[in-house]
Amino acid sequence: MTALDQRPDLAPAATDQRRRRARGLGGALWPLLATPGTLWLLAFFVLPFYAIAAVAFGYRDPIFGSTVPEWDPRYWSFDVFLDVLNRSLFGDLRAVFLRTLVFVVVALALCMLAGYPVAYYLARFAGRRRGLLLALILAPWWINYLTRMLAWLSLLQDDGYVNKVLMAFNIVRAPVSWLSGNPYTVVLALVYGYVPFFIVPLFATLDRIDERLLDASHDLGSGRVGTFLRVTLPLSAPGLATATVVTALPMFGDYYTNTLVSGSPTTSMIGNEIELYLLGGSRKDVGASLVLLLSALLMAMMAYYLISSLRSDRPAS
Amino acid sequence: MTLHPREGLGGSLLSRRRLLQLGALAAAAGTGALAGCSGRPTTTAESPVRLSRPDNPVRLPRFDDVPAIADGLQPETGGTLKVFNYPEYLSPDVLTAFGKQYGVDVEVTTFTTQEEAIAKLRTAGIAFDVYFPTVDIIGKVVAGKLLQPLNHSYLPNLGNAWPQLRDPFYDQGSQYSVPYAAFTTGVGYRTDVVSSVPPRGWDLLFDSVYKGKVYILDDPREAISMALLRAGQTDLNTEDSALIRAAGQMLASLIDAVNVKVGITGYQLLADGQASVHQVWSGDIINAQYYLPEDVGNEVLGYWYPQDLKGPVGTDTIAIPASADKPVLAHVFLNHLLDNDVAMENFSYTGYQPALTVATPERLVADEYVPEHLVAAVITPDHYSKGLQELQLSADGDALWLDEWAKFRAGS
Repeated sequence: MTALDQRPDLAPAATDQRRRRARGLGGALWPLLATPGTLWLLAFFVLPFYAIAAVAFGYRDPIFGSTVPEWDPRYWSFDVFLDVLNRSLFGDLRAVFLRTLVFVVVALALCMLAGYPVAYYLARFAGRRRGLLLALILAPWWINYLTRMLAWLSLLQDDGYVNKVLMAFNIVRAPVSWLSGNPYTVVLALVYGYVPFFIVPLFATLDRIDERLLDASHDLGSGRVGTFLRVTLPLSAPGLATATVVTALPMFGDYYTNTLVSGSPTTSMIGNEIELYLLGGSRKDVGASLVLLLSALLMAMMAYYLISSLRSDRPAS
Repeated sequence: MTLHPREGLGGSLLSRRRLLQLGALAAAAGTGALAGCSGRPTTTAESPVRLSRPDNPVRLPRFDDVPAIADGLQPETGGTLKVFNYPEYLSPDVLTAFGKQYGVDVEVTTFTTQEEAIAKLRTAGIAFDVYFPTVDIIGKVVAGKLLQPLNHSYLPNLGNAWPQLRDPFYDQGSQYSVPYAAFTTGVGYRTDVVSSVPPRGWDLLFDSVYKGKVYILDDPREAISMALLRAGQTDLNTEDSALIRAAGQMLASLIDAVNVKVGITGYQLLADGQASVHQVWSGDIINAQYYLPEDVGNEVLGYWYPQDLKGPVGTDTIAIPASADKPVLAHVFLNHLLDNDVAMENFSYTGYQPALTVATPERLVADEYVPEHLVAAVITPDHYSKGLQELQLSADGDALWLDEWAKFRAGS
C-alpha cells in the first residue's frame, strides 16, 4: 500500500536507522538519568569527605587554638595524620582499633546466628504470614533508639528484671554487672541495635531463590542439610555479604551504644575516640584524621565486597 | 609580629598566603620567628592571648572597632533576646519573668562545649545578645573580637558579686564579663554504701570495695587534675609532660582497681544508686536531691571536698557578644542576673550557686536550698581564694592533656 511496501529493501534500513537513533538517544539519556545520583554523591559524600580531609590536614588557629580547615591541598600538612597513623599502628590507639574490630566481628557473627534462621524462616516457611511476621520483627525499631536503649538500661540494672529472672532460674548465683563496663553487654547491644538491618537484605535474597533449584537438588538425592549447604547457602552468599556490609559500616562508627551501656575505658571503640577529639577540646584535626583512617579501612572492606560480588555475578550472567 | 594573626583568618586566602610567604622569608632570614613551623601559621609560641593566672592577672585588650555602648540608652524592646548558654543553666522562670518585664521573648540556644560555642559565635550571620563563656576561654574570645566591652553604668549589681570577682584576675576591671555561677569539684558518694570517708577523699574513687560503681568526670581537665591532686601536685595548669603522664597512669590504675567509668550525669547516677562514688561538680550533688526516688531521703547523698580547701574551684561568667542586636537590653539582663533575689531564684533551678556575697552557706542551708549535711558543696569566697583553678593552657599544653586523656579513654 505504501511506498515501503513497494520497496521492501528500504524497511530494514529505516528500522536500523531508528534503532541507531534510539541508541543515540539512550546514549545521552542514561548518563542524564544518573545525574541526580551523581550530584547527590558529590554533595553528600565527596564534599563532606573533602571537608574532613581539610580539617585533618588543616592548621592551628593562633588565637583560638582550634583547628582551621585548609581547603587548598597545596598547603595540606600531614604531620597530625601521620602521628595518628603511628598511634593507631603502634601506639595507644591500636588497642582501640583491635577492640573495635573484635566487637564488630563478634557482633556480626551473632547477627548471622540470630538473623539467618529468622530470614530463612520468613522466606521459606512463613507463607502468607510473612508480611505480618516481617512487620512484627521490625516493630521494636519503630520506637526511638534512645528509648529502647534506656529501657534496656533499667532492665539490666544490678537489681533489674534481667538479673531477677536469671537468678530465679538459678542460671546465675549473684547478679551480673551488665552495666559496669561489660564488653558482652556492648556486643549484645550492638547486635540488638543492628540486627534488623541484617535480616532484611538477607530475607530479600533468600526470598528470590528459585524453588525449582531446591526441588532439583532434592530430586538429585540431596537431603535437607545437603540442599541447604550446597544450594541455599551459596545462593544466599551475596545477601549475606550485603547484610554484613550494611551492618558492619554503622557498627564501626558507633559510639553511642557504648556510651550508654558501658562508659568504661575498657570497652571504648574507635567511634568513642573520634567523638572525644571531635566534640571536645581543640584537636579536631586528630579526630578528622581518625575518621579518615577508619574510612580507609572501611573502603578497603567495601572494595573487597564489590570485587567479590562482581566475581559471583559473572558466572551467573 | 607586624601582622595581626586575625588577618590571616578572615577567610581571605590571599592574605594568609602572604603571611606564609613572609613566614618563609623570616625563616630564611634566620630571624626564627616562624622557623620550624614548616611555613604554616601554627605559631603557638606567639599566640596573642596571654594566659591569666590568679597570681598573674590579665587586663584584656580593647579594640577600637569593638566599642562599648554609650551611657544612658534605653533598652531595646520587642523581638527576641537571644541567649547562648549551656543547657539547663538558667531558670526558665527567671527568663520568662525578664521577658515579661521588658516586653521581649527570651530565647535560649544551647551549646555543650565552649569550642562548639566559639565556632558558632565566629559564624557570620549568627548573632547572640548574651553568652556564657568560661574563665579559661575568655582571653581567646576577646582576642578574637567576639565580645564587646561592658558599660558598667548599666551594671550597678556587679557590687553584689564576691569581692575578688568584681575585678577578677582573668578580666581585670571586669571589662568584658560579669561573674555567674561558682562551683567546686569533689567526690560525691552514697552514704548508705560508703561507711567512712578517708581523709584524702579522692581515695574513695580508688577503693576496690566500690568496684563497678565508680565514675570520674568525662572531662580531661577535671579527671587529670584529680589525679594530680591525689599525687600531691597543686598546679592544675601544668604543662610538664612527666607529671601529666604520671597522672594519666594513675587514672589508668582505676581501670583495674574499680573498673572505672566516665560520665557527667553524677546527679542522676548517685541518686538512683547506679554510682556509689562519682567525681562531681558541687552543683551536681545539690541537684541530685531532685533525682532521688520518692522513698529515698537526701541523707543518702554525701560530698567530699579537701579540708584544706586545696581542691578545684571554678566560676563561670556572662558576657555580651560583639554581634549582639540588643546590647543595651543584654546589659540589663546581666544586671538582672546579678540581682540577689533573681540569682537565688535562678540557683533554685540550676543548682549552681551564684558567686554573690548573699549566697552564704548559712543562708543556703536556712532557706533549704542545700541540706545541712551537704554544706561542703557550698563554695565561699574563702574557698575560691584558696582553691585551685583549671585555666587556659598553651596550645601544646592543651594537646598534652587531651592526648593523655584519649590514652586513658582508649583503655590501653
